[in-house]
Amino acid sequence: MRMSEFADLPLSKQIGIIYQQGVYVGKSKKGQFIKLLFQLEYFYIEITYISYRLSIYKMRYSEATSILDPYLDQIGVEYLVM
Amino acid sequence: MIKSTTPKNIVFYADDDTDDLELVQDAFGKYTNNVEVVTAKDGVQALTYLQSLQEHAPAPCLIILDINMPLLNGKDVLRKIKEMPPLAAVPVVLFTTSSSPLDKEFAKKYNAGFITKPLDVAQMGIITALFIDHCSDEIKKNIRKQPN
Repeated sequence: MRMSEFADLPLSKQIGIIYQQGVYVGKSKKGQFIKLLFQLEYFYIEITYISYRLSIYKMRYSEATSILDPYLDQIGVEYLVM
Repeated sequence: MIKSTTPKNIVFYADDDTDDLELVQDAFGKYTNNVEVVTAKDGVQALTYLQSLQEHAPAPCLIILDINMPLLNGKDVLRKIKEMPPLAAVPVVLFTTSSSPLDKEFAKKYNAGFITKPLDVAQMGIITALFIDHCSDEIKKNIRKQPN
């Protein structure tokens, strides 16, 4: 699935796909928000929560590896060489 | 009026992520009359608690283990639980961010459940019900009964 196709899906479908197929990359905190980063094929999805794992504030998608920066300290070598 | 003194069912949950510990504790909040959630922050702490139960305390009705924990991971804790006769029959669920087929196979090999951590409130509701489904029929009935 391409990122543009994923972006066009309704939120409930996106969540279902991430849950079934997404690879968890890491977690970060900024102020009151907690973010989770997942990889889906060739792009990344960052979910920002108002209420952790319950209520989503926003999602952003990126194919650029710069989205990994806040999570680098949690990423194992095995992930980087995949 | 006679007040029931039936002891609560203990759900034991080990996870190094404090946000996830809080999430599961809150999820069992509606069963607070019948369930007590006991937590540990790493695999060693989990095993120490579970070993201490062997002699003088009732076993949990359900053990929930994160896989990626410091000191001793959830899979190693599961292996050791299955070698402890009083606890070997207690239902165990690996509760994880992983969706790896290898981890799922591992859970199956050790007769444990495998549940991926939720991404929204709808999934959390389903997962709480799935946790309880892993308990014995008697415990399930007891947990779900409404207070008078």
